[in-house]
Amino acid sequence: MSADTTAAAPARDEARAGTASPSRGAREGRSPWLVAALVVAVLAAMLISVARGYYRDGPLEPDAPTGQGAKAVVQVLGDLGVEVEVDRHTADAAESLRAGGTVLVTAPRELSGAQLTALDEALRAGDGRLVLVQPDFVTLSYLTSLITPVGTVEEPTRLGAGPDCGDLAHGARELAVPGEEDSLRGPASLYRTAGDDAHGCFTAGAGGALVASHDGVIALGSADLLTNAHVGGADNAALALNLLGQDGELTWYVPSANDPMAATGQTLLGHLPDWAGPTLLWVLLTATIALVALAHRLGPVVQEPLPVSVRPQELVLGRARLLQQANARDAAARSLRSAAAARLAHRLGLRRESSLDALLAALAPHVEHEPHRLRDLLGPSPVPTDQDLVRLAHDLDRLEKEIDR
Amino acid sequence: MRISPTPRAALVALFGLPVIVLWPHWWVLVLLAVLWLLVVLVDALLAVDPRRLRVRREAPAQVRLGGTVTGRLLLTNPTGRVARCTVRDAWNPTAGLAAQRASLRVPGQERRAIAQSFTPTRRGEHRSRALLVATRGPWGLARRTATATAPGRFLALHPFGARRHLPSRVQRLREIEGLSAIHQRGQGTEFDSLRDFVDGDDVRSIDWRATARRRSVVVRTWRPERDRHVLIVVDTSRTSAGRLGEATRLDTAFDAALLLTALAGQAGDRVDLLCVDRIPHVSVLGSTRTTVLHDMVAATAAVDPALVETDWERAARTISERSRRGSLVVLITPVEAAAMHGGLLPVAARLAKDHPLVIASVADPALEQIAGGRGDLESVYRAAAAEQARAERDGVSRALERAGAHVVDAPPDRAPQALADSYLALKAAGRL
Repeated sequence: MSADTTAAAPARDEARAGTASPSRGAREGRSPWLVAALVVAVLAAMLISVARGYYRDGPLEPDAPTGQGAKAVVQVLGDLGVEVEVDRHTADAAESLRAGGTVLVTAPRELSGAQLTALDEALRAGDGRLVLVQPDFVTLSYLTSLITPVGTVEEPTRLGAGPDCGDLAHGARELAVPGEEDSLRGPASLYRTAGDDAHGCFTAGAGGALVASHDGVIALGSADLLTNAHVGGADNAALALNLLGQDGELTWYVPSANDPMAATGQTLLGHLPDWAGPTLLWVLLTATIALVALAHRLGPVVQEPLPVSVRPQELVLGRARLLQQANARDAAARSLRSAAAARLAHRLGLRRESSLDALLAALAPHVEHEPHRLRDLLGPSPVPTDQDLVRLAHDLDRLEKEIDR
Repeated sequence: MRISPTPRAALVALFGLPVIVLWPHWWVLVLLAVLWLLVVLVDALLAVDPRRLRVRREAPAQVRLGGTVTGRLLLTNPTGRVARCTVRDAWNPTAGLAAQRASLRVPGQERRAIAQSFTPTRRGEHRSRALLVATRGPWGLARRTATATAPGRFLALHPFGARRHLPSRVQRLREIEGLSAIHQRGQGTEFDSLRDFVDGDDVRSIDWRATARRRSVVVRTWRPERDRHVLIVVDTSRTSAGRLGEATRLDTAFDAALLLTALAGQAGDRVDLLCVDRIPHVSVLGSTRTTVLHDMVAATAAVDPALVETDWERAARTISERSRRGSLVVLITPVEAAAMHGGLLPVAARLAKDHPLVIASVADPALEQIAGGRGDLESVYRAAAAEQARAERDGVSRALERAGAHVVDAPPDRAPQALADSYLALKAAGRL
């Protein structure tokens, strides 16, 4: 065999295989710089959050330095030597109460009946004090029967300590209550006390008191007495610090939704039989197995090394669009006319380069057109409108057909 | 090797449901999960290790595009157990393998064959990218998958659709050769025989010396010279990637090259082929007359257009290395204004000095269709643009003809015949 099929192709084949290999392309696409940038970004975010100091924001949160937080009160209490312990579960708060400490409940309205009962029992069992911030009627009814809410203060008001306040004033002569719009939890509540054991202080109008106390339960009519934003008003700070720092230790109880006692007993799921959970888990497990089994793919997805192919008319169509956009009717007419003239000259046996006059002279005996009509058709006469261009194309066609006949 | 559960394993897991309903405890759940895992693992262990199966391939070597060819995969099970296998032979899609997957049962110490039939839909090389064998356990709960090594590759050859035009052109060639009497003496002819003068013979071809020896007037007859050299150069650059109708320009170019090769083989000429663009490329050089067509079909099968511009200077160097003075050079490249700027014109002028030069171009039939559009304003503009493009092409082919080349420009369905006809015309004119 003298066949000598020069195999200069392998070099090219290899190059092609290299570019076609999907795994290599994917690996090259993932730049190490991207990973590094991500790591740096995560580290920077962590550092910034540490530098800023992490705190939980919310109404009367002890760590929050925002307007609605209570960091000011808590920090001053700490400086005064009061140990402040933050609790989020009712059980812990009840434990502190039973041990005889002071417990501040920042949001007593969010507590359920069970939680309030637990607090009440702890209060009865020990000799602690329970400070409630803006409790409502239902909340109070669990803990004491002698304090009831009677009204609200909508306008910014200053309430003075009456002469019959006694210890309840805690050294404050006047309290400032912000108006409804500045307030944290709506207008401040006023409480009426009944009986001899219960008494109120900082009365406003018709006998309602902003601070009321009975048998270890103290109701504060406004949450703003403790917030960072308003604790500095009038003698609010005096009341807050003296009331909460009395025992030397304070439990700051912020009710939270993930408290196990906050769960409302029997839910819809509770009606399900006890085998429902394990069965559901087993069904999920089976479904996962089925998905894994069905998703099993035997081998890789195969790529097709398709050769390139190009539409060759793009250039012509693009030029046509350009001509149309530019309204280049004369240019279009010129190319149509010259093509028709070339074909006619070929038909009539003229040289390609022959002049228009020669072509017209040769055409004249074969067609019925007037000579000036022919000159308009084939000569460089202007084409004013689009309709004229279309008509010119048709006329040229007709002329060529006439000569062909 | 991978172990994976089958859908049946998920169904088997459902048997655990009544147990859980009867004893709804978490430890029962854990126990059942462990039990299920054990059963599936035992089934996987009982399955034949797919790596121990021996796979041999009987793949076809080549097939003409449009035809169907068969191959076989032979699976041997050297173990004593029955192997329940699923085999996937992952060829690229255009290889046209009828069924990529096959499920079969190979008893121990036996061999089974998987029949495969390929109907490729793309010219070029086709490969099996992966061959995977999965075996199932006796209960069908788990399968083990492994890759087998049995490389498969075949070439889908150019269909050579222009073959049907060969007999008529060979007929014409024989006529030219037979009409030696009216054949003029020329550059590309050789002495054939002496015969008596008949009316109409060229007086210049009278052999006076022979006439002197005999009583009648004797003329020399000439026939086209045999054993000439034809070099076909196919441009595989970006312009050859243009899709004209069903196939690309390159496909038609190869069709024309093959028809010319077959015809030149009949005429007793030697044919070489070069594929040029910017990088070293496939070529068929020095094949014998009997094998040249086969070599050319095999070599061109895997050539695809590349999106580069042809380096004509480099091509000219290669051509002058590969051809003798006077051999016919056929350039198959589109005649386009853009190609002129690529330097084809000076190269063609230089080549035409030393060789008879034919430039064969495959024209775009869509251009003619666009040029005939008269419906609305848009189609008239398109027609104008198409006429302009055609005028440019005409200008380029006139420039090439002035440079001494013979230009053949025809749409794909006529291009191979047109090239063959121009070769025959050169033969008849004695220029070759």
